[in-house]
Amino acid sequence: MPGDTATDVAERIRYLDEVMAEIDAEVRRRRASGDLPAGLERELDELFLEFSPVGLQGRARLRETLALVDGAAYIDIAVPTASNKAVGSYVKRLIRKGLGWYMNFVVTQIVKSAWSVSRMFHVLVDHVEDLEAAVEAHRSPDLPADVIPDALPGEAWWAAATADALRGTTDRVVVADCGDGALVEALIAAGIDTYGVDPSDLVLEPALSRGVDVRAEGIVDHLGVVAGEALGGIVLTGSVQWLRPNEREHLLELVTTRLTVGGTLVLHSTTPEGWASSVTPVVRDLAPGRPLHAETWVHLLASRGFDVADTVRGGTDRRLSRIDTGTADADTVNAAIDTINDLLLGPTEYLVVATRTR
Amino acid sequence: MTAVHQFVPALLPRDATGDHTRALRDAFRAAGWESEIYVEAAHDELQHEATYFEKYPAKARPGDVLLYQLGTSSPVAEFLLGRPEPLVLDYHNVTPESFYEAWEEHTVAKVALARRQVAELAPRAILGIADSAFNARELTELGCPATEVVPILVDLDADGGAVDDAELARLSARHGTATVLLFVGRISPNKSHEHLVAALWTYRHLYDPDARLHLVGPTVTPDYAAAVFAYADELGLADAVHHGEGLTTGQLGAWYEDADVFVCLSRHEGFCIPLLEAMRAGTPIVALDAGAVAETLSDAGILLPTARPATVAAAVDRVRRDRRLADLLVAAGHRRLGDFAARRTRERFVEVLGRVAGADRVMA
Repeated sequence: MPGDTATDVAERIRYLDEVMAEIDAEVRRRRASGDLPAGLERELDELFLEFSPVGLQGRARLRETLALVDGAAYIDIAVPTASNKAVGSYVKRLIRKGLGWYMNFVVTQIVKSAWSVSRMFHVLVDHVEDLEAAVEAHRSPDLPADVIPDALPGEAWWAAATADALRGTTDRVVVADCGDGALVEALIAAGIDTYGVDPSDLVLEPALSRGVDVRAEGIVDHLGVVAGEALGGIVLTGSVQWLRPNEREHLLELVTTRLTVGGTLVLHSTTPEGWASSVTPVVRDLAPGRPLHAETWVHLLASRGFDVADTVRGGTDRRLSRIDTGTADADTVNAAIDTINDLLLGPTEYLVVATRTR
Repeated sequence: MTAVHQFVPALLPRDATGDHTRALRDAFRAAGWESEIYVEAAHDELQHEATYFEKYPAKARPGDVLLYQLGTSSPVAEFLLGRPEPLVLDYHNVTPESFYEAWEEHTVAKVALARRQVAELAPRAILGIADSAFNARELTELGCPATEVVPILVDLDADGGAVDDAELARLSARHGTATVLLFVGRISPNKSHEHLVAALWTYRHLYDPDARLHLVGPTVTPDYAAAVFAYADELGLADAVHHGEGLTTGQLGAWYEDADVFVCLSRHEGFCIPLLEAMRAGTPIVALDAGAVAETLSDAGILLPTARPATVAAAVDRVRRDRRLADLLVAAGHRRLGDFAARRTRERFVEVLGRVAGADRVMA
């Protein structure tokens, strides 16, 4: 700068650097004191996004866009005639007057066409909002991760039955919600080419440390990227029991298309009664879906071209013993015991083994 | 006779590019050269100073040099690509389309076309003149064979620093002793007005609950402007954010005079004339280090590495409280203005264009 020496400039820059450092220190001090709550600046940014076209979500965005369509559907033929020159304004008015009838004829048709399109969008938006309201009514809060029961499929009563059902399968087999990988190892030991998936990194750690082929993915996401008819067997257990109805349908569709014809589906589930008596009230109330009865799965699988080879019941055995028939009123008491066993204590789990036939 | 003719998409009064173009024409003529302005469109007020670009071929003479004022898309660019005369670009930058993607599809298309035209013109030109080194780098990257940095020709002394006293009194009466932050520039996404609003909210929260933000500039992206003011409303700042547009020179001078701090948080600036206006008005500057801001500002303001509201608020507070700092910034601003003195810039343009045109006479 004129009149400045290099020393002057350097001195000023050094001073401004000091000032900037002090400004930074002031910001840090304000944050530490709580004057600037953590996340405040992010919240300010997010608030502005709500006013931007890309920030508007769902209904607000639809309505905002529709308002733009409505606004653009109107065409004003009254062109401005102002001019800084007197003659300019006169000429513009003359043109507007001379072409007015013609423009009006054409524009009226354009506007009618635009309003027809706009009306169609209004109908669509109303319909979409009705759908959103219906979907929203069925929404349930996410199930807390820590209340999902631990499963160790390899040690379960149904591990041997699963191995028997899959024995001889030559294509790969996937185990959903494989947990610590014990069932995967058991099936491999039985000569079945098996790998596992589980949405939780944490529960997979023991399997990973043992070198078992397991991936941190949910079964739905995983099957979504598997090629069609690539799997010889699928073992479903764990969270598949309480999927939302639409998610269950999607899973069934994926299972049907990813299994080879002749491939085997092994499905393990608790009974609805066993589930209700075994889970906490929180799980019972918030679980997005409910386990189905074995008969329901059989029906669903049959409708998708599966042949159900076997349904095995098992699981927690806490059944009450019948009393000696020589005892007084034994028949009445034993009938009551049977009812209690079936309703509350009977086999609380089942295994459905099905084969894809088409 | 040396002839340097300018082409500009639109010749408008009270417009930086329009003023620059007309001032350059006068400088070229004062140097004894022929110089006309060819346009795609001209405002009624300036019709008599402009000729439609389609008429140039009939007037073309051997030895003409064509200078294109490039800052937006225009059929003029296509026209110049087909001309045989030596072409010089005077590049004022084109805002990248990414800034408009969330807001205006037609503007995205317009600026994308402008940037394509820059890319086509840059290698075709014999020289690119850029307002800033930032702009010059863009031209070089696009294949321009040579560049010169010459600032935009702004004659800040032309109006003698006029201040409309009545406007100044009106503004003062509105806010009393409250701190006033000012930004001048069109309301457009690259100027980040939302960050100014967030900074005001934070400044009021931490330092001065009565502080105000004055925004001056035309609304060129209506959806964005609506979002900025709705945002201010949502934050309870509807009465604290004051917008002015269509101001006279004297009124604009009053808004600068009235402000305590000029705050610029633009994310993309090719030069930023309002920084010079703030320097002239003696308003201390706090600005985000983005685009060409740092080189325009030099050491005449607090240059922020981030637009985070807390940092901006703390910087404004520091300038407000620290008289020595404010005085130093204002003095540095006055010195910095010397680098952009109109006489100096005129000489630079005539010197640079004279070399290209082979002029044997350069204005003293």
